[in-house]
Amino acid sequence: MRVDIQSLGTYNRLAQEGAEHAAASLTEMTGIETYVDVTNVTLMSKKDVEDVFGGTEFVGVQIGLGGGLSGETALAFDRDSAASIVDVLVPGTTTDDDGGFDEMARSGVKEIGNIMMGGFVDGWADYLSTSVDMTPPTYVERAGTDVLPNGALDRAEEEHVFVFESQMTAIDEEIDAYIYMLPEYGAFAEMLEASDDHEDAIPMDKLTVFDEMTRQGAERAAENVSSMTGFETDVDVSRLSFVPIEDVPNTTRDEVYLGTVMEFKGTPGGYLAILFDEPSARTLVDATVPMELDDPLGDMGESAIQELGNIMTSGFIDGWANVLQTSIDHTPPELVHDLGTAILSPIAGRLGQSQEYAFLMDSTVVTPEGEFNCEIYAIPDERKLKEALDSLLIERSDQLEANRESLF
Amino acid sequence: MKTYGETPSSTRTRKRVGIADFAVTADGAVLTTSGLGSCLGIGFHDDRAGVAGLVHVMLPTAPDEPTNVAKYTDTGIDAVLNAMYDEGATADDVTAKLAGGSAMFEFDSQDESIGARNVATARSTLDRHGVPITAEDIGGSSGRSVRFHGDTGTLHVKSAGDERRL
Repeated sequence: MRVDIQSLGTYNRLAQEGAEHAAASLTEMTGIETYVDVTNVTLMSKKDVEDVFGGTEFVGVQIGLGGGLSGETALAFDRDSAASIVDVLVPGTTTDDDGGFDEMARSGVKEIGNIMMGGFVDGWADYLSTSVDMTPPTYVERAGTDVLPNGALDRAEEEHVFVFESQMTAIDEEIDAYIYMLPEYGAFAEMLEASDDHEDAIPMDKLTVFDEMTRQGAERAAENVSSMTGFETDVDVSRLSFVPIEDVPNTTRDEVYLGTVMEFKGTPGGYLAILFDEPSARTLVDATVPMELDDPLGDMGESAIQELGNIMTSGFIDGWANVLQTSIDHTPPELVHDLGTAILSPIAGRLGQSQEYAFLMDSTVVTPEGEFNCEIYAIPDERKLKEALDSLLIERSDQLEANRESLF
Repeated sequence: MKTYGETPSSTRTRKRVGIADFAVTADGAVLTTSGLGSCLGIGFHDDRAGVAGLVHVMLPTAPDEPTNVAKYTDTGIDAVLNAMYDEGATADDVTAKLAGGSAMFEFDSQDESIGARNVATARSTLDRHGVPITAEDIGGSSGRSVRFHGDTGTLHVKSAGDERRL
């Protein structure tokens, strides 16, 4: 199956507009001014979905969709955000000993959830010129992936699922809300399917290979940082998402990072950023520089981070080259110490000259004890990515032929 | 990316402008945007009408029929000026301040960096509109975040630990 990139873009825009309607409803009902931070479509393995949701406690609603658009949705607030919202909607409600909400509070969450998701779905129904049925909201108060509708992952027959994710944030308060939509894979894949002669199409099965490449790259990078620092590491999340190019910088948090950035040359072309937040960078500088530094993030510290960035970059590239079975040229990794959004803005700008959307592969390297974490962003050039995926197809079939011949 | 609460209200004092986004205020709100690397932030102020605007653009010139006018320097400037005129600003009274347009990486510095091209396009577009640039904090290799005071037209720029007032 080949996927039409433009239609993937259209659905991303629908989700973004839907989330903006949902945020506007939240603002209208609570007076808390909210905006939509980022909306992306992610192709995730089931395991990665679990990693993404793991460990966080959510309060929210689940709503099933049927009719013109079938699938499952969830609107999730972290617990503190839900408490702030409930406080505005139904003042004077109480929580039980475990911090759970009482009946009034729950119905408040259900009501706001129903209204917000109604706003989210309207634009889809208009675009598809059909009606979308919503089940009544189910209140959920759970940890991790359990916030997703029961069995949504089990029912997914494929190894990968599409997840639409919108993150909403309040301007003056600590409120975070998320909308997740998991369209039914088969039906959604049909909506995306491109005709064979469509020049703007990406082969779907090969895209999952690229997802695997990213995981391998991140794992090699993690191994390298482990051997240099002695910290045991793990790749927590690795996912492939599709975002409007102007949203690429917003995928980092609004804080200062240290790390390295470099440009891939050839096929696939693109950019790789390996970023540590400042507390993580301090920990790593302490672990790798044998003397006490007045300013751990001064010149000495920066050059230690540069060194780490270099070896992680070479690990990442080994992982990619291994899957693509080719060598990959790149510019020397450049040290950067700045706001995450500012770091990614020139990358988005350069790619944005020739593409409206980006395939963004992001991975997070963590340690079991949480000493540091590292965010890895690989953002390929769309055209080069297509070439790389096409040649991957050819090379693999060549191998298959060779193996067959060797049997005789 | 859009911000909400575009309707003027005395209770709303701060508006966040995303990437490829703009906001206009007629009641002296503080307009903020962060993460200006090669991107350019342009603050507009009409003191007489009490109208101000801030746009965060990413690329120099728009293609035909752009999906988001605020993504490009030329169409972004057109859009924010038109929105300010709708709020009562007049072309003769508007002034502009620029922040951003840095070249953060070697690979973005060889020919003309995106940042430098954003600045050049802003100059020519503002010139075409007859809007003078009264202050600027541009170029270099660091990112910037800005706060633009809609009442006074003061632009606070934060970059690499420093804070400057334009």
